[in-house]
Amino acid sequence: MDLKNYIDKDLIFLLKEKKKERVLFGMIDSICEIKNLENKKDIKNAILYRESLMSTGIGLGIAVPHVRIKGVKEPVVAVGIQREGIPDYVTIDDVPVKMVILIIAGEGQHKEYIQILSLVVTKLKQDDVREELIKAQNKKELYEILVS
Amino acid sequence: MFGFGINILVVIGLTVFIGTTASRFFRRFKVPQVIAFIILGFILGDSVLGIATRELLFAFSPFNIFVLGITGFLIGGELKKEIFEKYGRQFINILFSEALLAFVLVTGFVVLVGNIFFDNSAFVWALGLLLGAISAATAPASTTDVLWEYKARGPLTTTILGIVGLDDGLGLVLFAIASSIALAIVGKEAPAIPSMLFHILYRIGISVGVGVSGGFLLSLIVRKISDKYGIITFSLGIIILVLGISDFLECDVLLAAMTIGVFTTNFIPRKSKEMFELIDELMPVPYIIFFTFFGAQLNLNNLTLPIVFIIIVYLIGRTLGKGLGANMGARTSKAPATVKKYLPWCLFSQAGVAIGLSILASERFPEQIGDSIVVVITVTTFIIQIVGPLAIRVAITKAGEAGLNITEEDIIRESKAKDIMDMNVPLIYEQMPLKQILKTFSKTDNLYYPVVDKNKRMLGVITVDQIKNSLMTTGLHSFIIAYDLMETVVAKASPDLPMTEVFEILNRYNIEYLPVVSGGDKVIGFLERRQISRKIFTKLIELQKEAENLVRN
Repeated sequence: MDLKNYIDKDLIFLLKEKKKERVLFGMIDSICEIKNLENKKDIKNAILYRESLMSTGIGLGIAVPHVRIKGVKEPVVAVGIQREGIPDYVTIDDVPVKMVILIIAGEGQHKEYIQILSLVVTKLKQDDVREELIKAQNKKELYEILVS
Repeated sequence: MFGFGINILVVIGLTVFIGTTASRFFRRFKVPQVIAFIILGFILGDSVLGIATRELLFAFSPFNIFVLGITGFLIGGELKKEIFEKYGRQFINILFSEALLAFVLVTGFVVLVGNIFFDNSAFVWALGLLLGAISAATAPASTTDVLWEYKARGPLTTTILGIVGLDDGLGLVLFAIASSIALAIVGKEAPAIPSMLFHILYRIGISVGVGVSGGFLLSLIVRKISDKYGIITFSLGIIILVLGISDFLECDVLLAAMTIGVFTTNFIPRKSKEMFELIDELMPVPYIIFFTFFGAQLNLNNLTLPIVFIIIVYLIGRTLGKGLGANMGARTSKAPATVKKYLPWCLFSQAGVAIGLSILASERFPEQIGDSIVVVITVTTFIIQIVGPLAIRVAITKAGEAGLNITEEDIIRESKAKDIMDMNVPLIYEQMPLKQILKTFSKTDNLYYPVVDKNKRMLGVITVDQIKNSLMTTGLHSFIIAYDLMETVVAKASPDLPMTEVFEILNRYNIEYLPVVSGGDKVIGFLERRQISRKIFTKLIELQKEAENLVRN
């Protein structure tokens, strides 16, 4: 299983927003538009609800908001980079979130969902990968680093 | 009415429909269903409405043999080798003492009272001897029907089954001897005692022989087939054939059928269990027809004052004889306490064999003796069949044996989700981190855990299988929570949902668990297929132990 099977070049964003909710909603809007998903409102609600249970800021400047929801046929992974950080994104180490990896999977895709989460976390926990991602100038570079 | 096919069906339809309705009504007052059937039959019969005519009843005599035969077969199925080893001496002691004491007391009382009303002492003695002999038999079908209706199990139940299966035979022997003596007393030609005894032994021998042959053939066939349809059809075919041959050879159909049961239960114990269960399931409708038509043939006319007195002393003599005799036999064979105490209440039933012998007596003694015997037996049978089943119900309940003969299917049929559900299943709250979930898993042996919100409302289920996936993947422990891992629940049960429906849902969705929720989707219990089986098995073992403890007391 490889991350490049799930990461779409069009779903890599250099973020301008700095508010957690706006960041997440903006990414969801783009995903739904690009992937033709109709249940945008449900996805937003589900992501917010999941964040209300426990923030997905996992430390080292990484956040992995994720949700499984009805109506999604294939797992979708979107990546957002905010070099200045998202101050209101609660993290376990208080380091501001600079990388948001948003994962949306179908209700029955439990196994793939867990595997994608694992792939993402394993990749981003490497210091050099994180440094390169922050330095990357455009979407193409970001994509190359993520799938390398 | 009889003569048009449709009308037979109308009578049978009415019988089954009203019989079932009446028995359900009677059950509310804890009255055995057999009483409802007999009363219904009496109302349908010649004595009241005249719907079930004599012609119809006569046309159904082979059917009666069939029902009696199946009853004998099922009784035989209870008599395993171990039962004979364990209860053999007890059976013989009780059998002889209850049958002989009933014979002696009824004969004595009838002779005493008869001499007051009748001048002819030969007539009185003949009447006494014949009624005494007839009083020895206990009706197997109505007795076993109560035992099966109340799912009785234990030493008392086993003893009752053994006695009612055997005392008809002793009754026939006594009747043969008594009728020979009676014929001699009233001056008619009687067969010599040795030839008569030979004839009895010949009948018993033929009955057992035919039964063993049938049982052997049935065992060979059933051992090789596994489909239910085949087991039912072969069993019924062979039983009916044996009944027909026994009837043709004029031997004891009940004994022949019982022999098939005894043979198969001991020869192919495992396979025959299924066979007896399948045959038993077929019997409710035939039993309704059998007992209702039995009630229909009871004719309470032709009562005179002397006959009323004979009836009273017959009832007293038979009740005392059977009761004291059973108690005496139980004491001398050191039977368990419940048998000594309650068996005397369980051997009153009187039906087919007694009626049959009274008709036989009326043929051999066509004048006053025969007529009196038919009236006495008919009236006493009616009374005894109302009181007898009630007495059995009270006795088996007091002995603690009612409800102990329960199968897995019975428990499922009678239980609701709330009776079986696991009320202590650990709840996983939606925000619980993976680490804590694993800690919960390590403390219990469940395979499925309900995920709930802070108000304990059902959200989903986490399975051990899913957790396996998460464990194998690294780096997730710090941020994965129950909400991420749970799967959606496809079905839920209310606490009052019958277990039969629970199984239907589990099978329909091919799932292994069912959460039980009440008002507002709040989780109050959990049903896991594996745990349901364990719980039912434990319940069965408990009932089995309860029955075994009764033997020791």
